[in-house]
Amino acid sequence: MLAFLSARLAHALLVVVVVSLLAFVLGDLIGDPVASILGLEATAADRAALRLRLHLDDPFVVRYLRFISRIMAGDFGVSYGAQRPVADLFAERLPATAELALAALALSLSVGVPLGVYAAVHHRGTAARILMTLSIFGVSLPTFVVGILLIFCFSLGLGWLPSFGRGEVVRVGSWTTGLLTVSGLKSLVMPAIALAIGQIALVARLARAEMLGVLKSDYIRFARARGLKDRAVNFSHALRNTLIPIITVSGIQLGYLVAFAVVVEQVFQWPGMGLLFLQALGQTDLPVISAFLMVAAVLFVAINLIVDLLYAAADPRLRIKSLAVRS
Amino acid sequence: MSLFQRTAAALAALFLLAGPADATTLRYGGATPALTMDPHSTNDFVTAAVNRQIYDSVVGIDDRMELTQGLAVEWTFQAPETWRFKLRPGVKFHDGTPMTAEDVAFSVQRQKVSPLYRALFGTVKDAIRIDDTTVDVISNGPDPILPRKMTKLFVMSKAWSTANNVEKVPDLGAQGTEAYSLRHANGTGPMKLVVHEPGRRTAFARNRDYWAPGAGNVDEAVYTTIGAAPTRVAALLSGELDLISDMPLQDIERVKATPNFKVQQAPQQLYMHIEMDGTRDVALDIFDKAGQPLKANPLKDVRVRRAFAHAIDAKLIVERVMRGHGIVIGTGAAEGFAGYQKDLDVRWPTDIALAKSLLTQAGYPDGFIVQLNCPLERYTNTEEICRATASMLARIGVEVRVKGMVWPEFARMLVNGPNSSFHLIGGSGNSGDLQDAFVSIMATRDRDKGRGGTNWAMWTNAEFDAVVDELVKTVDPARRTELYRKGLTIGRDMVHSIYLHQPVLTWGMKQSVTMAARADSAIMLHTVVMK
Repeated sequence: MLAFLSARLAHALLVVVVVSLLAFVLGDLIGDPVASILGLEATAADRAALRLRLHLDDPFVVRYLRFISRIMAGDFGVSYGAQRPVADLFAERLPATAELALAALALSLSVGVPLGVYAAVHHRGTAARILMTLSIFGVSLPTFVVGILLIFCFSLGLGWLPSFGRGEVVRVGSWTTGLLTVSGLKSLVMPAIALAIGQIALVARLARAEMLGVLKSDYIRFARARGLKDRAVNFSHALRNTLIPIITVSGIQLGYLVAFAVVVEQVFQWPGMGLLFLQALGQTDLPVISAFLMVAAVLFVAINLIVDLLYAAADPRLRIKSLAVRS
Repeated sequence: MSLFQRTAAALAALFLLAGPADATTLRYGGATPALTMDPHSTNDFVTAAVNRQIYDSVVGIDDRMELTQGLAVEWTFQAPETWRFKLRPGVKFHDGTPMTAEDVAFSVQRQKVSPLYRALFGTVKDAIRIDDTTVDVISNGPDPILPRKMTKLFVMSKAWSTANNVEKVPDLGAQGTEAYSLRHANGTGPMKLVVHEPGRRTAFARNRDYWAPGAGNVDEAVYTTIGAAPTRVAALLSGELDLISDMPLQDIERVKATPNFKVQQAPQQLYMHIEMDGTRDVALDIFDKAGQPLKANPLKDVRVRRAFAHAIDAKLIVERVMRGHGIVIGTGAAEGFAGYQKDLDVRWPTDIALAKSLLTQAGYPDGFIVQLNCPLERYTNTEEICRATASMLARIGVEVRVKGMVWPEFARMLVNGPNSSFHLIGGSGNSGDLQDAFVSIMATRDRDKGRGGTNWAMWTNAEFDAVVDELVKTVDPARRTELYRKGLTIGRDMVHSIYLHQPVLTWGMKQSVTMAARADSAIMLHTVVMK
């Protein structure tokens, strides 16, 4: 288990280092921060002074090492655009993205799994076939199209849900949550659906495929032979074994949810990390851009790591194998 | 009331700020955020429009962009280098302290060293308090348009700035904590800042002690940023917002056609034009028809410039690409610029045969290939304008390769070079006076003289430079008008640039909202009426 763990950690570290390099190079490619900050009318002297102050003319290696050592010390620098510490900006924006991604994940599992199970159990039924056809649409519809369609139906047409923002938020310690107010919950509905819709379809298809496989296995047949009810067989025996791959995939999907949140946040003006990142790109706000990419990389890697560990915990065979290795 | 309207009204109620139940609140939105509440640290025009609600400028500017009394009630040309401003007595900052000449002098000193305002206030040397209500502003040389520049000089409290450690404009890149003035404000303006949540919303409350009580009835206002255009329009039509700026062109007719909504427009203080390299002997990214680099700069030849001007049909671009929401221009100015000359504003007629013969005279009967650098953001429908230009020039045998660039990339190309021989860009006089456009966009680039700072295609004309030399120190209005006319005429005759159109700002709003559409995009909240 220890060997397994350290191998995973080393792998994770490598990924983070590579991303940090890419994040840094990307910053250099997209534009000149001084041109973005000072605009077209500033004098050459002011530009040169700012370049000096921001250390933009130092050699690449020096700037990279400075960037890394600062990040190691927990200092993300100061945003060029907002003129505020990047860490403060992230702390402000993180709750919105986290709540959105988790709501979408919860939605995709709670809707996707039952749909998948239904489609597997009744896999010859017409409803199940229709469901599977619809899921193709779900997977292939672009997130922003779904978002705009939702706004047209539920904000413009019916007037039920707000088209933008996060509603009223409540401060709990350093976290702001929209889950405790009516307007906050209402605001969450459409972005969460827009973000989840592809995932629901994916989870449903996955659950169906896994379930179909499991339903054919011997122990299910034996369970039926013992005279257990369909419900007990399907849910307590079959579903439990299909959950392992679903956990793996949805863990990794959480990373994708955070990534796709950029699109959803743009459509719904959801004040999260993705919106911050898009603004930063437009302003060549290097500290925010590179810090965002670093945070995203660490998040992805951490999620993968946790999923690996969960996998080991969920599958007794993996546990026993690692025990065997250790002894 | 229909179910739709009732639910919309209920939702609207949910969105109201906590406040007195009968307070009239204007909820408005735009595409870009107010970047900071420090009026001196950015010249972004959306931010300045928001800051103008909180901070007054020394000289006021009315809805038609004419000078009017602001914190100063009178200004006089005291000496060649000195303008004297007589201040309004009895004005108070939002924290209750009186506004004095000391504060005005302090604000001039603070704003003039901000890098973003160097182009505007770089020639201001000093500001001196004469007595409690008199301030002298001293320039390095005569500055006839200083009063107009002072419409962009926002007055902050010296005591407040000192107490909060922001006597200086916050330094970018300085490590440490956030400057207090970025999210807090203490001005003398018609609205007080309630809260500024960057990128989310900026909330204001009416300043009941304002020295010029407006006719409006808005008690509170909330500005929200909604970057996605379809969402912004939906937020208006669903009743969540009362007013939006930056209306997408394709939605204007739809909003107009929706009952209880209307659209208002104002020509922007900006003109779109295509600049052509006027200096290099070998232009950048230019090729002969075989695709080999052309060892020449045809764009410098006035016959080629005229050929382009006659081949590009600005009227068609306005009609098709801008859907009619733009004004064709024929000189390097636009309505609303101080110094604009309406009778001179006649565009080169579109004439393909003439254009072709001009090209032939210049020695390019078969045309050539040239790259057009095209910013993809910041201005409206730029990519479509560039593509339309390409197809129009194709008619005279010139093949245009459009290179679209995101703004940071485009800006880098210009300021770190300029490395472009042919590009689309917007031009505006910094202060709103044509003199600024002459000095920075059209005069020969000269760092020491502070000329041609945004003359990105390096056009140069000695006769024009002489006009500028005289204009910057001429006070007499009649002589200034002559000089404006002479400059504009040279620019048009020598084809300084291919002038296209003046864009139009568009707001969409509920029928019940009355506001003045201003060319500086500011919505003066204290004059807005909501029924």
